[in-house]
Amino acid sequence: MPMSDKDQDLGGLGAFFDAARAHPPAPSPDLLARVLGDAEAEQIWITRRAQPAAEAPRAGLLEQLYRLLGGWPAMAGLTTAIVAGVWIGTALPEGVSGSTEAAYLVDITPEAVFELAGDF
Amino acid sequence: MPFDAMEDLPDDALLARFAEGDAMAARLLTLRLTPRVMAHAYRLLGNRTEAEDVAQEALLRLWRQAPDWRPGEAKVSTWLYRVVANLCIDRRRRARGGSVPLDAIPEPADGQASAADRMQDRARADALQSALNQLPERQRQAVVLRHIEGLANPEIADIMDVTVEAVESLTSRGKRALSALLAGRQEELGYADER
Repeated sequence: MPMSDKDQDLGGLGAFFDAARAHPPAPSPDLLARVLGDAEAEQIWITRRAQPAAEAPRAGLLEQLYRLLGGWPAMAGLTTAIVAGVWIGTALPEGVSGSTEAAYLVDITPEAVFELAGDF
Repeated sequence: MPFDAMEDLPDDALLARFAEGDAMAARLLTLRLTPRVMAHAYRLLGNRTEAEDVAQEALLRLWRQAPDWRPGEAKVSTWLYRVVANLCIDRRRRARGGSVPLDAIPEPADGQASAADRMQDRARADALQSALNQLPERQRQAVVLRHIEGLANPEIADIMDVTVEAVESLTSRGKRALSALLAGRQEELGYADER
């Protein structure tokens, strides 16, 4: 609680301090709106952040793996790499099946090659 | 809880409700704290626009601190005084100068007696602010906290992270400097009448 400076040894400054307390700079309506906007936005963020913490144990293994890997961008990259790997492994281009290169290839799924051979 | 009952809650209790998602607590804290924070920032900076920016930033930090706030451990007002002071010091260091010279203070206009009294009171507040702007940062902060905010020296020492003796020294030197700065305007501002 602001004290009165009248009785204190302020060397005549008491009147100035009293005047300053009597005329505080009031916040503009715009400032109040900005502060309240911040408060409401932060409150939404705080309550949202609190909810996943409570629901975390219920998240499935796939969901946890999805979060661990970094969400959809990482999953998209991973999916592309898997598809490309399967395609490269199963659809052997003409040039690779030559006599020299073929000696270095290890075919781990010979049945798949026979099944797919008719399509090429 | 009804609005009237919530109005009586201390700051830290409202802050706990704020962290729980109580919209009424957000409104009450905004209305309660913004004027205090804005006024303190203005007294340290002497610039209204900058004071409003500091007030918004200080309160944004409080909202973000709300989930981790431990009731009873620290006073919300003390924490805010410290944050405001740090933000003000940062701003003043970034942009030196900008204080209003004493000559730039509007003169009290002639008019009716009551209006003249109000003008004189207003002019005194403005003159004090201009003089405060010319004090070194630490002296200004100590004088404002002691003689305008009305805090006790131990709380000021806590806010400023210095000893009580250092606070006494800062306020004493600050008042001497203010007296010297305002001495030239004592007649027109009714300074002599208050002695």
